[in-house]
Amino acid sequence: MAEIRLVDIEKKYGNFLAVPKQSLTIVDGEFLVLLGPSGCGKTTTMRMIAGLEDITSGDILIGGDRVNDKPPKDRDIAMVFQNYGLYPHMTVRQNIEYPLKLRGMAKADRAARVQETAEKVELDALLDRRPSELSGGQRQRVALARAIVRKPRIFLMDEPLSNLDAKLRVTMRAELKHLHHELGVTTVYVTHDQMEAMTLASRVAVMREGRIVQLDTPKRIYSEPADLFVAGFIGSPSMNLIEGAIRGGVFTAQGVSLPVTVSDRDDVVLGVRPEDLEIIQRDEAPIQGRLYALELTGDSTLVTLRTGKASVCARGPADFEAEINAPCHFAPKPGVRIHLFDRTSGQRIDGDAAQGTAA
Amino acid sequence: MKDRLLPYWLLIPAFVIVLATTIYPLAYSFVTSFREWDLTKQRRPGGFVGVDNYLHAASESGFQNSLWVTTIFVVTSVALTLVIAMSLALLLRRKGRMHTFTRIILILPFAMSPALIGVSYRFMFNPEFGVLAKGIGAVFPSLEGTPWLADPDLAMAILVLTDVWHWAPYMTFMCLGGLASIPRETEEAARVDGASNLRIVFGIILPQMKGVLLVTAVLKTIFALKMFDQVVTLTGGGPGVSTETLAFFVFNVGFKWYDMGYASALAWILTAIMMVISIWYVRMLLSERKMATA
Repeated sequence: MAEIRLVDIEKKYGNFLAVPKQSLTIVDGEFLVLLGPSGCGKTTTMRMIAGLEDITSGDILIGGDRVNDKPPKDRDIAMVFQNYGLYPHMTVRQNIEYPLKLRGMAKADRAARVQETAEKVELDALLDRRPSELSGGQRQRVALARAIVRKPRIFLMDEPLSNLDAKLRVTMRAELKHLHHELGVTTVYVTHDQMEAMTLASRVAVMREGRIVQLDTPKRIYSEPADLFVAGFIGSPSMNLIEGAIRGGVFTAQGVSLPVTVSDRDDVVLGVRPEDLEIIQRDEAPIQGRLYALELTGDSTLVTLRTGKASVCARGPADFEAEINAPCHFAPKPGVRIHLFDRTSGQRIDGDAAQGTAA
Repeated sequence: MKDRLLPYWLLIPAFVIVLATTIYPLAYSFVTSFREWDLTKQRRPGGFVGVDNYLHAASESGFQNSLWVTTIFVVTSVALTLVIAMSLALLLRRKGRMHTFTRIILILPFAMSPALIGVSYRFMFNPEFGVLAKGIGAVFPSLEGTPWLADPDLAMAILVLTDVWHWAPYMTFMCLGGLASIPRETEEAARVDGASNLRIVFGIILPQMKGVLLVTAVLKTIFALKMFDQVVTLTGGGPGVSTETLAFFVFNVGFKWYDMGYASALAWILTAIMMVISIWYVRMLLSERKMATA
């Protein structure tokens, strides 16, 4: 187990700046998720930690040692790849055994270790098969087993669940979480799936264009997004973002007027999550428009209304029914958070932004 | 009814062409291989002699020599081509301007006609004015004036060299294709797991290249078994009969000594050897397929 420190690391490919200068400390035993859309530099960052990618400048420290010039094998890390990276010409047993063999462990010890690890990930019945004879989930388990068998100080996981079907992904997610709890090894996990990030992480680093835009616990990322990008990226369905202005303590846009505790200004974006809105039947509601679409999700109905150019979505009861184009009214639920952002910079306005008023 | 027959009508021209240019000559030579036919004496094939032509091959020294020459040639040229092609592919697989440039000029040797290669190398190894002979003489003065193509072993070595020079680039491309299909992750996983570069090549890359290397080896073997052009233009089978390959020998028997029956039998022996190799290769490849990842 070890702490990872990235100090002013930077990565350039020719003239292209993939990861601009930044620092990040990953605490011992933490499960840190690098989250962002594709091409945001999250995988590059992880590959720099692994040593599969040189860093242009800066320092990487693992457990206090500077590892910039150390090859991957001397960093005491294990990595799980998106496409598993299993050795197709070896059996499951040989795959799991390979890292131990390379480190010169005695044969008897190796066999015991492989057995113990295989049992942990429920592979013991499949040890003599080849990867091609396994399902996606089983292959993923082999990749995991190969990573944990050596008991490294750090796990690096590059979108390990993205090749699995939706149902299996949820199961494997729970297994990963349990495994981390059991082993307590510092883990860096790359994903573009915000759900994975929220459920797995001790802390999430949301990345955009190579930069970490917010580093926080999943809870805080959800409840206090640092900017418009994070606000829009986290949550499903995503947060409603409405452009408008604040006049006399009231956020105003077409069909929207919500009292806020921020002084008057133009170019403001108001953000409110669908689950924080409720459908009401009064005419003087803070958000008014015409019903645009109804989507039943099983436990609730997503109700979208349109006002001017903006559409606003609210999570309503599963039995909600209305005619399309009928007048529709939303109000924030009592005590929920309303978020305000500067439209030009995208930054959150006033850390302790206005509280939604009981409508 | 009409529509159902149409595909067959459309196939007929191609079928006729294949029949006329391939099936008929093959069948004709097969039949000829069981007959006596000396072109100097008779215009048409003579009587059937059973397997006499084949039995003759078993006891004739010219054939046995050519079999031995061909074996040495095939083994050395296939092995060298494969090793060089695989090594070049490993060196050239990374992206980069120099890599791309090298890959492009690598096509040139393969683009040259084998007959021309033979003539060129014959000149280049001429002890009087050959650029290679002179070059080697300048670096190793003791080799100055060596009659390269007049020594049986050296002539064979040069024949192998020209063939490797001709084929290695093409085989390099095949290997590059194979390397590109290996998931990069397996190599990176091995590196993280702690494998050295050498170990990655031999333990991870080569085993996954098995299928491609098999195809390459068999293709090269078949091409080498048919070796003819460079023998004609480079060594003429000599000195003596030291570089008389099977294909060259068959040509001599047929078109120098005009013994068509015997030549046909020899050609069919060559075909049988190639067929055995091909069948063996298909079997290997099928079992390899079964093992390969999805």
